[in-house]
Amino acid sequence: MKQTSLLSLTLFAILLLLWEGIVRTTGISALVVPAPSAILIVLWEGLTVGFLWPHIWVTSVETLAGFALGCIIGFIAGVILGEIEFLRQLLWPYVLASQVVPKLALGPIFIVWFGFGMTSTIVITALICFFPLLENTMTGLQSVSRNKRDLFRMLGASRWQTLIKLKVPSGLPIIMAGVRIAIVLALVGAVVGEFIGGSQGLGASIITAQGMMDSALMFALFIVITALGLIFYQLTIVAEQYLLSGWTKGQDQ
Amino acid sequence: MPIESNFLQLNSTTFAYEGAVGNVVSSINWSIPEGGIHCLVGRSGCGKTTLLKLAAGLLQPDTGTVRVLGTDVPEPSQHVGFVFQSPSLLEWQTVLNNVLLPISLHGTVTATDHIAANELLQLVGLQEHTDRYPRQLSGGQQSRVALARALITEPIGLLMDEPFAALDAITREELQDDLLQLASLRKTTVLFVTHDIGEAVYLADKVAVMDAGRIVFSTDVALPRPRNQTQRYSSLFNATCLNLRNAMGPERKGEV
Repeated sequence: MKQTSLLSLTLFAILLLLWEGIVRTTGISALVVPAPSAILIVLWEGLTVGFLWPHIWVTSVETLAGFALGCIIGFIAGVILGEIEFLRQLLWPYVLASQVVPKLALGPIFIVWFGFGMTSTIVITALICFFPLLENTMTGLQSVSRNKRDLFRMLGASRWQTLIKLKVPSGLPIIMAGVRIAIVLALVGAVVGEFIGGSQGLGASIITAQGMMDSALMFALFIVITALGLIFYQLTIVAEQYLLSGWTKGQDQ
Repeated sequence: MPIESNFLQLNSTTFAYEGAVGNVVSSINWSIPEGGIHCLVGRSGCGKTTLLKLAAGLLQPDTGTVRVLGTDVPEPSQHVGFVFQSPSLLEWQTVLNNVLLPISLHGTVTATDHIAANELLQLVGLQEHTDRYPRQLSGGQQSRVALARALITEPIGLLMDEPFAALDAITREELQDDLLQLASLRKTTVLFVTHDIGEAVYLADKVAVMDAGRIVFSTDVALPRPRNQTQRYSSLFNATCLNLRNAMGPERKGEV
């Protein structure tokens, strides 16, 4: 395992060197493909001089706020639809239709409703996070085995107890898989939301950089967004490991 | 009326699953007295698990009555424990909390409950494993936790649905001994469903045979108690097994 990660780092270094070499020898325009060294200089300046930080902050806030909002609403809706058969059959076509609509196509109308800026982006992000949580919560709650449900009936558990003490913890691995999908989608939602209606944030900065034909800055922003995504993803993995500690213990024995 | 001293009393009990053809339980009249271990053997699909679920109050009969300790069971009773085919432990809870589940669902767990749970775990040889999680245990250990969980509320009766079927032969024998010991210690009435004739004879005071939704045969097991593994090789044990095997009907070729 350690050897393969070393190899994959080496591969990364080789690819960077190759890229740098090709850009320098072919004299390809920095407008089309900037050299890695040029990108790193812009990135370094952005972080040390500090003009990137406010944008990182805005995008992070939008991502996390949209993610939290979408996850909470998605989870609650998933519980309600998972528990009440009638509502599930009544509302499912509408839920599905609302998800098939490309959320980003709703961007312009959200700008009309919520104005330019953070609110529109947060709403778009929340809408994107909503569905994976809804669907995985519903599936998770229904994944409980017949025997365990019968056990809770035998023990005289109320419906609420069965939900809180059996169905939700039973479905947690599936629900957390939805959370992992949602955090990745949240960042995409926030960045693209900023393309449409943002004046601040990493997505808006990409549009500005495009306007200034500053390709090196655009690449630097890609790196920042990727790093941000990896950090958020790792945080959900840590949260998942904490929440599922009982589940995972002894699995490899 | 002698009926009141029965643990379980079925009167013309009939049950069919919705949409299925024919009755799974057909007009059964059967009773088992309070005390002792009663086994119900039968082929797969003969309706024995359904009968057990009727006794548990998990299912309701279409016609006839099901009475446990003299009363109808419109819903599961707290006086009766149930052990399922699979251990059905909560993977996210420790062994101790799994055993305490029946108590924690109905209020706070007291120090006395903790002592009781630890005692039960000691009786099934798991005192070292109280803080572990189900996935850290072997199949046999998980079944023991399920048994301890069913006994923590000190139920009058225990309904068991082939709880040891998935275990290897040696572990199964150990668990059968654990069950015998616990049931006699607690004076618990046990209704044990199995397809294994040898298991039924080893455990039971009385064995009934079920076939196609009916009780077709019933016999006492004359083996002395306490039971021990050498009795499995006695001629009386084998004769009882043969008797039951014959009662289960001839070999049915082409059936699974």
